[in-house]
Amino acid sequence: MTTIAAPMASRPRRAPLSPPLVYGAAAIAFLLVLWFAATAIPGVVSNKVLPSPFDVVERFATLAADTFSGSTLFGHAAASLTRWLIGVTVAVGLGVPLGVLLAWLPPLRPAVTPVFELFRYIPPFAWVPIAVLWYGASTTTQAMIVFIAAFPACVINTQLGVAQVDSILLRAAKTLGAGAATTLSRVVLPVAAPAIFTGIRIAFSNGWMALVGAELVVGKQGLGFLISQGQINDSVSTILVGMITIGALGALIDVVLQRVQRLLLPWKSATTRPVA
Amino acid sequence: MATRVRSFWRTPPGKIAWLAICLGSIVVLLGAWWYLTRPGGGISPLFLPPPDEVLDAFVRLLSRPYLGSTLGQHIAASLEVVMTGWLAAGLVGLPLGIAMGWWRKARWVAFPIFQVLRPVPPLAWIPLAIVWLGIGESARVFVVFIAAIVPWVMNSMQAVYSIDALLVSAALTLGANDRQILTRVVCRTALPTLVAGARISLGNAWTTLVAAELLAATSGLGYIALNASRTLEIGILLVAMAIIGVLGALFSVIMQLVTRIVAPWSRANAEGA
Repeated sequence: MTTIAAPMASRPRRAPLSPPLVYGAAAIAFLLVLWFAATAIPGVVSNKVLPSPFDVVERFATLAADTFSGSTLFGHAAASLTRWLIGVTVAVGLGVPLGVLLAWLPPLRPAVTPVFELFRYIPPFAWVPIAVLWYGASTTTQAMIVFIAAFPACVINTQLGVAQVDSILLRAAKTLGAGAATTLSRVVLPVAAPAIFTGIRIAFSNGWMALVGAELVVGKQGLGFLISQGQINDSVSTILVGMITIGALGALIDVVLQRVQRLLLPWKSATTRPVA
Repeated sequence: MATRVRSFWRTPPGKIAWLAICLGSIVVLLGAWWYLTRPGGGISPLFLPPPDEVLDAFVRLLSRPYLGSTLGQHIAASLEVVMTGWLAAGLVGLPLGIAMGWWRKARWVAFPIFQVLRPVPPLAWIPLAIVWLGIGESARVFVVFIAAIVPWVMNSMQAVYSIDALLVSAALTLGANDRQILTRVVCRTALPTLVAGARISLGNAWTTLVAAELLAATSGLGYIALNASRTLEIGILLVAMAIIGVLGALFSVIMQLVTRIVAPWSRANAEGA
């Protein structure tokens, strides 16, 4: 859901943004020590409010081994990942073709724009109450929220990527005797692929974030459910373990996707600005 | 003939054709909605009520208090939380981001912390906020703050960091001191990106607030939506969703206007994110 707006003009970068790791590691280590100190010195922070880092690690081990609220930590994670995968698969499966169509056949755009814009501004979580009414506390409800969160990024980025394809390439393909199908599959899609992939990456991360929200409200399993149970049981350490797992899985998904992108699309990415 | 058909599909429609197709699609959709939800139309009103029932619900919401407050009060409650959280995040995030963009060491120290925290969705903070602060306004402000601060910081940092070094050298040559460069050259040049960050941040804040109101609230639009869902008043639920969407779109439009006013030279106006 977070997008970094690109600088207005693309200029050569001064240096890569990755700073020396020493400073970062030191800062994070300092925060961890601060956290530990605050919980270790009696009277500063109550363990009920913020358990010590070691309590959290211990809780992590307990949750990984024993069932809590229906399953182990891995069970909850697997439930979340399954719903997420269903939702994003449908979103990519429908969103990318729709984006290609919208860019390729301009008269479709005004037909779809009013509905699309109307729905785009309704946050995914605002769909939770109606999804519950429609499908109850089921996997479908959760997957629908993931789909709603992931779909727009697929459509918009695909459309941008396809629309950006240089018309010289299209005319060259035509001159060389390529039909619409050949031009689309051999010229347009390879050129637009980096932008499409960027859309998929944003969609995956939006879907993951939205799923947590959906699981907080409905469901009997999943990482969002786990942290809401932690809240009901007044167990901050459970909440923290859940939050860390959610964050780690989200980061892992993105790292894997970046690797996949480099493997599948080694050519240079188009200068598309990602749109969330 | 075949070429003419193809050329219609491959040419962008003109302004009038665009409007006509737009209107046509809206009419078709409303018609389909009405047709399918009419008595015996295949979709039960418990699944999706007909358009006139939704309109009725809207009028009812406008004229009578719902769940103890009028619609205006619910909207005001939502807006108050979103503005407080967003502005507080801006007060912290904007200077922090500019500092991180300007001073290398500030970036080296603070950026990794954000990198570590960023993958945790703001919504995942809601249970923690409830345990720490209770089901009150402060819990919602806290969650909105968390959602809003990341784009504030990241965009401000990016904006300042990617300033053309030539501009800074030119200012130095002309005898400007560090403070002058930061305020008159860097912040001025970075302005459009700073406003873009503010816009993204406001969008995130609004999205997150709705989720927070589903979990911890006694008024607000998300609270209306959840209650309407529990009492099966789908008309009211749809109205609440529509208002949430319209307000979200309104924020985006207002922030684009702001960009145009404070940075009329920027080319970011045409872009929507």
